[in-house]
Amino acid sequence: MLNDRWLGVFAIGLSVFLFWFGHGLEAPFAYEPVGPRAFPMLLAAIICLCGLILLIKGGSPVAPNTHSANFRILLMVAIIAAYGMLFQLLGFIIATTLMTACVARLFGGTWLRSATAGILMGVIFFFLFDRLLDVVLPSGLLRAWL
Amino acid sequence: MSGILDHLSLGFGVAASPINLLLALVGAFLGTIVGVLPGLGPINGVAMLIPIAFAMNLPPESALILLAAVYVGAEYGGRITSILLNVPGEAASVMTTLDGYPLARQGLASVALSISAWSSFVGSFIGVVGIVFFAPILAKWALAFGPAEYFLLMVFAFCALTSLLGDRPVKGVLAAMIGLAISTIGIDSNSGVYRYTFDIPNLADGMAFVVVVIGLFAVSEMLQMLENVLSGHSIDVPKSTRKLFNFKELCFTWWCTVRSGVIGFFIGVLPGAGASVASAVTYANEKRHYENKDPNAKFGKGDLRGVAAPEAANNASAVGSFIPMLTLGVPGSGTTAVMMGALSLYSITPGPALFESQPELVWGLIASLFIANFMLLLMNIPLVNIFAAMLRVPPWLLVPGILVISYIGVYALHSATFDLGLVVAIGVFGYFLRKFGVPLPPLVLGVVLGDMMEQNLRRALSMTNGELSILWQSTISKGLIFACLAIIIVPYFYRQFKKRRAH
Repeated sequence: MLNDRWLGVFAIGLSVFLFWFGHGLEAPFAYEPVGPRAFPMLLAAIICLCGLILLIKGGSPVAPNTHSANFRILLMVAIIAAYGMLFQLLGFIIATTLMTACVARLFGGTWLRSATAGILMGVIFFFLFDRLLDVVLPSGLLRAWL
Repeated sequence: MSGILDHLSLGFGVAASPINLLLALVGAFLGTIVGVLPGLGPINGVAMLIPIAFAMNLPPESALILLAAVYVGAEYGGRITSILLNVPGEAASVMTTLDGYPLARQGLASVALSISAWSSFVGSFIGVVGIVFFAPILAKWALAFGPAEYFLLMVFAFCALTSLLGDRPVKGVLAAMIGLAISTIGIDSNSGVYRYTFDIPNLADGMAFVVVVIGLFAVSEMLQMLENVLSGHSIDVPKSTRKLFNFKELCFTWWCTVRSGVIGFFIGVLPGAGASVASAVTYANEKRHYENKDPNAKFGKGDLRGVAAPEAANNASAVGSFIPMLTLGVPGSGTTAVMMGALSLYSITPGPALFESQPELVWGLIASLFIANFMLLLMNIPLVNIFAAMLRVPPWLLVPGILVISYIGVYALHSATFDLGLVVAIGVFGYFLRKFGVPLPPLVLGVVLGDMMEQNLRRALSMTNGELSILWQSTISKGLIFACLAIIIVPYFYRQFKKRRAH
């Protein structure tokens, strides 16, 4: 069961992380009394304090998701991560078509509608941004034709 | 007085150029759509448009005009969903549902929509007039601020934002600190030391602000939408007999609108307190005011004043929140924090010097707020049905569309796949923070203010060779410390008091 205790554990973990990778920060030529280390250390201390308060007080449990919701969210994360990886590789149009089709399916579109939406979204946004608005997008595999 | 007229004519000169007029129109239109869509508010709309405006090589004043029009437009648009569906289109229009939806049930949807468009207009108008008169004064006053005072001012912004968020101050502080920690990533500008970069070259310049904001406000929002199976909204509201409010209704709501606009404006000026606070405060205020005097007041059951008051207030406060951003360089709301991040893409640091060094930017923005406000009024009364039709767009089309626009924006920044991966990671992180009830606006404020805050603290301490006493030496510092304590303590006791009275 997730509740504020876990958030507290996370905060303490974060402060340890900040401390561990920050306590050695030292300027090679110090010409000011406060170097690059002080501010992160101050933040780590306050985060740790927040974490301790949350850990001790606990309470306010997180509303649990249904299994199917968790599954859909995981799937969504996988899709958008893959979209990011393939954005440059396959090019904007192909990557967007694939992503849109998958996400539309996830949100309950039929196969036909999702595929159509994917192709239209890829092509229309490419021409809108790349050609009309001068925002350069990768052409990827379709480089020869665009 | 003549100085103000000079400034305004300079501003209208900038704002009336064809490209800026077009951007204000586009911004107002897009903003209203963003406001109408539940789950998307001004902060999401502005976050998604920043990188695109930047990639299109818009000059800074044009980019700011576009974003400001989106911001104010979203405050207009939120009311439509509140009235028609009883679902707030954005956070600040929660109060509008209380009377808006009952009015729609009684067949007065069009009257409620048009009167609230009018009161939004009056609220924004009060806000812009307020900026014209107060911003230059505040900017002049702010020139007396040294690094210690600036540091304390930013501390005050955090105190105000977290304390007004209500019952979870610890989580607010935690969010702010995480934001500040994110801002320390990258090369420290004073000493050249790499902090928390782990030898990843993409992190040397720090985590791009746009990446953080889109991760938090576009990606994590999408993940949250997946929790429930969504379908498009069907709007079924009894047909209205009249399309527009009449003169009697205008007089009926007039004073309540003006009063709420003025109060909303001053709440907006407070760094950190945004439109949601303004609409909640004014609704409660009007309700109390009229229930004692008017036996026919039916707040909560469909009173036109219950729609007019929060709408006037949230628009006035949205406009008012530009004041601390422009004059002090400390944003007055989550959305203006995001806008300040946008200005940093152009290497512009808002602050008192901005009025001297970039008058076209400041006054152009103010003038275009005037213009955009008129456009929004004209758009929101006759075209309200077009905006309402946006609610019929099914999520399976909407969500991929938002994702595509977000990714285009992030990619446009550095053309780096790394940034796209980072957006997903931050989106997942943001989703967990949302699940735990951690408010995200303080986090954004932390990312935006982090560098300035640290630099000012270090500069102040350099002046005294590390002696901490400089932080409370001057009168302004003492005043700011007092203000910080007051804004933490007063709402706390007020809540305790209310709790006790409820028992």
